[in-house]
Amino acid sequence: MPTYKDMVQPVRATDADMKKIHIDPVPDDQKCEKAIEYLDLMRKKFRSFVLAMESCVKCGACAENCHTYLGTKDPRNIPANRAELVRKIYKRYFTLEGRWLGKLVGAEDISLDVLEEWYSYFYQCSECRRCAMACPFGIDTCEVTMAVRQILHWLGIVPKLHAGVGAAMEKVGNHTGLPKPGIVDTLEFLSEEIMDEFGVEVNFPVDKPDSDILYVPSSADYLLNPYTLMGAGMYFTYIGANWTIPSTVSEAGNFGLLFDQMFTQRHNVTRLLDAAQNLGIKKIVWGECGHGWRAAKMYIPSLADRPVPWPITHIHDEVAYHVRTNQLKLDPNKVGHPTTLHDPCNYSRACDLQENLRTVIKACVADFREMYPNKERTFCCGGGSAILFDDPEMYQRRIQLSAKKAELVRATGVGANGDGYLCAPCSICKAQLYPMVEEHELGVEVKGLIDLVGKALVWK
Amino acid sequence: MSYFILQILPYVTGAVFTIGILYRLGRWARARIVHNITLSPFPKTNTEVATVFGTEVIFFRSLFKSDFALWIGAWFMHIALFSIIGGHVMGIYFLGKQFVYIGMSEGLSEFMSNLLGTTFGIIMFIALLYLLYRRFAIQKVREVTVTSDYLHLILLISIVAVGNIMRLIPDWGIHYEPVKEYVTYLVTLQPVPAEAEVLHTPLFAVHLLLVQILLMVFPFSKLMHVLGMFAERWIINRKYTEPAPGLPNIDIPAARAAGLGLPSEGGVE
Ligand code: HEM
Ligand code: SF4
Ligand code: SF4
Repeated sequence: MPTYKDMVQPVRATDADMKKIHIDPVPDDQKCEKAIEYLDLMRKKFRSFVLAMESCVKCGACAENCHTYLGTKDPRNIPANRAELVRKIYKRYFTLEGRWLGKLVGAEDISLDVLEEWYSYFYQCSECRRCAMACPFGIDTCEVTMAVRQILHWLGIVPKLHAGVGAAMEKVGNHTGLPKPGIVDTLEFLSEEIMDEFGVEVNFPVDKPDSDILYVPSSADYLLNPYTLMGAGMYFTYIGANWTIPSTVSEAGNFGLLFDQMFTQRHNVTRLLDAAQNLGIKKIVWGECGHGWRAAKMYIPSLADRPVPWPITHIHDEVAYHVRTNQLKLDPNKVGHPTTLHDPCNYSRACDLQENLRTVIKACVADFREMYPNKERTFCCGGGSAILFDDPEMYQRRIQLSAKKAELVRATGVGANGDGYLCAPCSICKAQLYPMVEEHELGVEVKGLIDLVGKALVWK
Repeated sequence: MSYFILQILPYVTGAVFTIGILYRLGRWARARIVHNITLSPFPKTNTEVATVFGTEVIFFRSLFKSDFALWIGAWFMHIALFSIIGGHVMGIYFLGKQFVYIGMSEGLSEFMSNLLGTTFGIIMFIALLYLLYRRFAIQKVREVTVTSDYLHLILLISIVAVGNIMRLIPDWGIHYEPVKEYVTYLVTLQPVPAEAEVLHTPLFAVHLLLVQILLMVFPFSKLMHVLGMFAERWIINRKYTEPAPGLPNIDIPAARAAGLGLPSEGGVE
């Protein structure tokens, strides 16, 4: 099923799945008409989208700056062409030249095939923004992807993965569907692990009233990246913080950013603000999650439906601050592996976190090696915007999409002896890279950044 | 024919160009900057923002880093283009004597004006040919090109080619004086007399016709990138002020003195 006329496509949410995220899919015979209606809405609302539609000169500079084109050599994965999939429709219906001159200027009528193309190619874009950095005008194809995914969502076309996550978030407050008792159990288990391995006593307070700090971990940290959550607990204990994890938003991610900013993303923000208010906290600290941090840092100000009295920072900002002010005792020799750092796109091109990541990792790791290009110029892991699909065709695509990153990791040489660390401080990067470092045989283990902080802390 | 191109069309062109651009700008202005999508590293002050704009406009900084071969073609093409536009205005208004104001003699000034005009004309011609060549020759560029992209370049190349011919073959060209007279008639809304030299210089009419086509196409084409660049960077290169780091009620030395985290037997319970 997940290919359509030579295009790979992620498995689709069923009508029942869509209902859980409040959408009644549009019947096929109305899809085209509705698509134009929604496109009209998007172009009237988002200037970033209009400018991407109207000022590209087709110079091609973005092509080799996009890992999806590099990895697949599929011309429709060139950012300018990805945007062209919707631009041709935009021209046909919303510009004079497109209406009068049609094909000459690349305009085309809408059809169900076009919608299938959208679904395929806008779910291969990882919203990494490397094209915006490369383009002479700064045209941000990520904005086009976001607009088209919104339209597809309204039409009822969303990957099963994204729809399921949206529904789980609404139901229990995290993406993995872990209810509060599960969270508490897992955290108790992590406390025991910390005691066994590091010999320190760390408690994870859940829903503790009158806490100073609200810590929002990624829910992947409960099961898949336990050392990240352990590291965070150890850090908060070490500095003597009065902190808590809210059971109602036990999730740093916000998939609304990725497929539905209008309702899902906004709804998650509301949920967070409610939690913060109920627990009477003073500051919100975000966990290791790239898109979630972008959604929090850059979108809460424009999505909140009320004044937000709490400052919101990232745990890496806070650790970096304590490192710079020499308040933590860290022993970089405890992490005895050559380590390189993958800059998550959302941190380095959308949130300006790249310097703090380095402040922290250099304090925690003795043998740290930069990966080039690094910081805002680095390439995406290939999983950005949660295109972490597991069906066989899409999984093959994921290997291709991560090819460029694999090349950069290999060039650092950290995996030469098979004992390297690849620090990827973002849940989606981790989920993508865990299998990909195996597929590309990179000889590295994927770690979070707070994992390394936890390991390097000196307690006595 | 010459009469139509020189006497009537310019007013149509002017109207289409102005109204077209206002229409496009209006469309952009109606849509809003909804979320903060500043691209990091964030500029921290307005001076840094101005630096980003400046280096992008003058040096095409992003392009320089992302596609050097294209940068060579595009940057030289644009520099030549700006110089030529400037040269047209100055040369025609001052009749080639603009450099007298920076201390040259009249003769030298006219010579310089001609030399610069010819040089930039040739640079632009070569650069445009290269841009056209890469549209055919480089696979990734061919893959993003549609028919109108070729047509734009061919139109520009024709304009520059005709201009260069008028410069290099003086018999087919025209001097600044008659052009200045012609522009004066146009601007003051007076009819151009039938014996005016411009009406009897066929290549001048061709050159002007092609330029007018370009100007009329401008608001409905990718040439709007000129303004689009500013509008786009206005969105993605904004100042951002970070919230202060530091957590509430934290006293790390006290926490360490209390032995927090250390198992009870080792701590100061
Ligand atoms: C402000 C910064 C500007 C940048 C970064 C820029 C960049 C570019 C680029 C990358 C191309 C594509 C070349 C190609 O492959 O075809 C281009 C084409 C062009 N630009 Fe600009 N441009 C700028 C300003 C301007 C201005 C002010 C003008 C005119 C007054 C202008 C006129 C043109 C023309 C006529 C073309 C050829 C269009 C075509 O290929 O069909 N540009 N520009
Ligand atoms: S770099 Fe920018 S202008 Fe050039 S083709 Fe890509 S999106 Fe268009
Ligand atoms: S945002 Fe990233 S993945 Fe998407 S088109 Fe741009 S460079 Fe490619």
